[in-house]
Amino acid sequence: MHSVVRPNAWVAVKLPSGITRVLQVAPNTTISLGKYGAFPANLILGRPYHLTFELEDRRPGETFSRLRVVPPSELYAEVFADEEAPSCSTPAPGTTEAVITAADGDEFSLVDADSGKVVVRPNNETIDDTARQTLTQEEIEELKRDGNNAGKDVIARLLLSHTALDQKTSFSLAKYKLLKTKKYIRRFQVLPIDVPNFSTWQLEERDASKILDLRAEMMGLVGCWGNVHYGGEDVYLDDPKATSEQGHEACPTVQEELLKGRWLVVDDTCGLLVAALAERMGVLSPEETDSDDEAEVKSEDKATDGAETAKDSAPTDENIKKEVVDDDEEPKETTRQGSDTEMADAQDEDQKPKADAKPKHQSPRASDFAIPFSQTNTITVVHGASQPNLSFLNYWGFDVTSPNHPPHPLLNHLLTLTWLQLLKPELDTSYSTPPLTASSETLSSWKPSRRGNFHRKRRRYARIHHIVDTARAGNFSGLVCASTMDPISIMKHALPLLAGGAPVSIYSPTIEPLTTLADCFSVNRRTAWTSGAVPEIADKSNEELEHWVGTEQFPLNPTLLLGTSIQTSRARRWQVLPGRTHPLMTERGGSDGFIFTGWRAKPAEGKVAAKGKFKRRKLEDDSAPQSEAAETPA
Amino acid sequence: MTGAMDPTTRPKVSPFLEPGPLTKVNSLAILQLSRDNLQPVYLKSPADEHDGYAEGAVVNTRYGSFPHSTMIGVPWGSQIRASKVDTGSRGRKRKRQLDGDAGRDAASPNENENDNDNGHEAEAEAEARDTDGPAASNGIKEAVADTSGFIHILPPIPEIWTMSLPHRTQVVYTPDYSYVLHRLRARPGAVIIEAGAGSGSFTHAAARAVYNGYPTATCPRKGKVVSFEYHEQRYHKMSVELSEHGLEEIVHLTHRDVYKDGFLLDGKSPEADAIFLDLPAPWDALHHLSRRRPAQAVAGASSSGGDEVPWVSVLNRKRSAYICTFSPCIEQVTKTVSAMRRLGWVDIEMVEIAHRKLHTARDRVGLNLAIDRGVNNSARDVDEAMARLTEIEDRFREHSRPKGGAGGSAAAGGDVDDMDEDDDDKAAVAAAEAPTDGDASSPASSSIPSWMDGRLVARGEAEIKTHTSYLVFAVLPREWTAEDEAAAAEKYPCGAEKKIVGSMDKAARKKERRELLAAQQGNRKARRKARDEKMGEGAL
Repeated sequence: MHSVVRPNAWVAVKLPSGITRVLQVAPNTTISLGKYGAFPANLILGRPYHLTFELEDRRPGETFSRLRVVPPSELYAEVFADEEAPSCSTPAPGTTEAVITAADGDEFSLVDADSGKVVVRPNNETIDDTARQTLTQEEIEELKRDGNNAGKDVIARLLLSHTALDQKTSFSLAKYKLLKTKKYIRRFQVLPIDVPNFSTWQLEERDASKILDLRAEMMGLVGCWGNVHYGGEDVYLDDPKATSEQGHEACPTVQEELLKGRWLVVDDTCGLLVAALAERMGVLSPEETDSDDEAEVKSEDKATDGAETAKDSAPTDENIKKEVVDDDEEPKETTRQGSDTEMADAQDEDQKPKADAKPKHQSPRASDFAIPFSQTNTITVVHGASQPNLSFLNYWGFDVTSPNHPPHPLLNHLLTLTWLQLLKPELDTSYSTPPLTASSETLSSWKPSRRGNFHRKRRRYARIHHIVDTARAGNFSGLVCASTMDPISIMKHALPLLAGGAPVSIYSPTIEPLTTLADCFSVNRRTAWTSGAVPEIADKSNEELEHWVGTEQFPLNPTLLLGTSIQTSRARRWQVLPGRTHPLMTERGGSDGFIFTGWRAKPAEGKVAAKGKFKRRKLEDDSAPQSEAAETPA
Repeated sequence: MTGAMDPTTRPKVSPFLEPGPLTKVNSLAILQLSRDNLQPVYLKSPADEHDGYAEGAVVNTRYGSFPHSTMIGVPWGSQIRASKVDTGSRGRKRKRQLDGDAGRDAASPNENENDNDNGHEAEAEAEARDTDGPAASNGIKEAVADTSGFIHILPPIPEIWTMSLPHRTQVVYTPDYSYVLHRLRARPGAVIIEAGAGSGSFTHAAARAVYNGYPTATCPRKGKVVSFEYHEQRYHKMSVELSEHGLEEIVHLTHRDVYKDGFLLDGKSPEADAIFLDLPAPWDALHHLSRRRPAQAVAGASSSGGDEVPWVSVLNRKRSAYICTFSPCIEQVTKTVSAMRRLGWVDIEMVEIAHRKLHTARDRVGLNLAIDRGVNNSARDVDEAMARLTEIEDRFREHSRPKGGAGGSAAAGGDVDDMDEDDDDKAAVAAAEAPTDGDASSPASSSIPSWMDGRLVARGEAEIKTHTSYLVFAVLPREWTAEDEAAAAEKYPCGAEKKIVGSMDKAARKKERRELLAAQQGNRKARRKARDEKMGEGAL
């Protein structure tokens, strides 16, 4: 997340009505907020997040509204007034004072025993609001049209011309004012699009089913129980410097000892889960630098491709910066010729503490079989369709479908493969077709487009081989799922791939899939398994049992997971106001969301009996010829 | 498991952050004795100082004894067998050590004799006996596997650590801290202030969240937890723990009263991005977290002579600061929120977290089930109840019918036996009701094993935490001065707007649509033309 709004960044604009608008702030556009008005996008560019802006009235001779930052003292003016009132524990007696006489003798009023004052007015005098509003709709419209002062005039007029205002209880007065303020005040707040803000918006205002009702509480839990964190400094494999004649044999082999901090992910939330995990691992957005704004602008410019028109018109007055930008155009150009491994180089540039203005030496182009992926700190996504659905990553400037992508940390840390590639790679064409080879002479005789295709295919081959081979090598640091698929089927194939002690964290919007999963690891099943009640496993080694294919009675090997548990969590929001603190009256319902957790176990070889079950063992011993009876008393 | 470790033997990277594939000497591991019974252990090499066991350091549990030597160099998550450890004669042995190692040598053969009939372990024991000679010269006995008992060894993960925390006061549990860290945007590279380190559960989770490598000479600013603890004993305990866990470079722990002395480190700003306050009175500490010297409202608290010292803000001046306070009482929340409003925090929101753990079980209900734990011997459904009632009714009728064949006995009974007859009826009914029909139940139970039988249900725990604390979240935007605004206005001048983004009025929307369509049509025409040309080429 950046400190200020960058050109072409996605932001969330929060309106007084509580509605959030998510939009991309392109320079030199007008942002329209519907009834609250419109303003030039350039007025929020380069400004910090979380400030509350107010649309000012148009100045004479200008065609747009300027913005004013609303200081917090103004935002909270009413609360402060409430607090300053003599006793804020009772609901604002100052405002009810005038109408106490009218309520005198009313038996429904709550009267303070000591002072004899009416504390709470009965609500039997509640009057339909519109009936008492003397302003007609036309008048209100007119006020809105030429009303000044960011809508505050309208609100004041509305309050003034309400005939029954003095008959309202302090609660209903506050409510009425809030209602009118929400409707007319021309204020908004700019929030950054990070995972918490984005998911709240998606959950509450867009389509919650798209993200499987994944609430912030559950997202936090899933990430923590999956122990997802920064998995170590990036490590890249050496470029094999393969020539175009060399085929598969030149592909770099998997070096298992280098693989560290890798998480296996199954994501059916359109990429929100991956985004949340990437954020925890520090690979979601380009590295945050503490250097001055220019550097940040630069990285942002790089991240946003396809907005050239906007960028061209963006003012770049300083010479140095211009140079930097020009410099950046180069890798983009080369990418366009069909080299997607260029990304690795670009990433290297990014990792330098600060890409300064002096011209950089373009490193010699990597060979086709160079692996662009880091060996550490990676997310491996297994998907059921032929392409992963990670469309929400677009909000963070990453498009998984784009072949020639501008630099982004996810390019080197996100590995995607299909279930087919993971389980039966030999059936997958792109994995099993050997790479094309050609001598350099034939290559140079080809048209550039054909040559580009040739290189592209070879690069893809090397990439897929690397992804599949590393995934099949296993030893993942954890498994995190939010999927619509049956968790048992996922676990069947994912459990053997996990390192010992690796956590498993599976989210499901409903509990039923998780109870069936947890039941596979029930005490009864485990006891039956270890006590030899399952004839099928009698002569199998641990190695074979790790890859247990499953039977109807034992879908999974119950000894492979420890400490299984199911949990759910819910945040309840409160309103905190002087004298009016209570939980919110309504919140989102729908699926509760549950997570299943556990840790991968490595069972000891051979039969292991539990302590303290002498009786049962005796029974077993009776059947077994080798009796342990002599040992039991000890 | 206590006692500070020699700093030189500390693993390079904390086991919490990179546990590696295998367990290591001098590193923290967590033993899972049973489901929720976890015990942290620092694995020691057998050559280290120990309590006088022949096998070196040993963990004794109710599930058996586990010498550390059996737990070192194994993959995490491994199941560890208990070993035969002579726990009884330890004291005596020490005394006898004056006369040489005779005591132990005498003890072990005895033990081995006892176990000779022990099937699969015999091999291991033979091996052990073979190595006994050379090992004895080291003074360390090779561990011998016991016949029963096991535990699992788990890597230290903040969640497991929290569950195994030895001191159970003031613990911020996983449901709370996971949500707090998520909302505080604690991500790799962030600096987070924590006041009230308490038992360290939040500290460990926060360290994991902000970790992005250890600080080096070239890159001194890395993700960091700046922690404050006023309770002196807890402070010492925590600092020992942090160094044992290899986290002292990630967590900067200070012993300080933050109400009075604030959050600066040697007068320098830690440049915090996020703050977590687990204090009894967060409102008294809030004014230290301002971007500018706060107004007179809190001047009393900021003590004397503060005027000459230039104000150094604790916060990162480039970014919005996120805060969370953790207080159990609603009065604390009211005061905190009020103080936050006055200090300019925005987006203030208070939530409480309700967390539930669920257990799965198989509910077995039925009349014909064998009596077992957790089995409910009542009718499974109406049909079963009906069948049972009809059966009782039939038997009753059969019994009370005047029996022709058994006339003799009826005559003998006569009137006097009316009572007896009643009793018989009852007995018959009871016999019918009792689940004695073993032959009826056996086919059912044998066809379905116990782990498949019954309805699968999920139930909450016996006791739930209904309230932990109220969490107050807020954001403090970065400082924005008139100069900043002027600079931004110069950089992004307005007046050249071309397009409208967001909700538009009808006219604008229509216009845009029309333009878009025109452009698309143009494209299509151009494409068609190009294709036609190409096809023409091909035909030629």
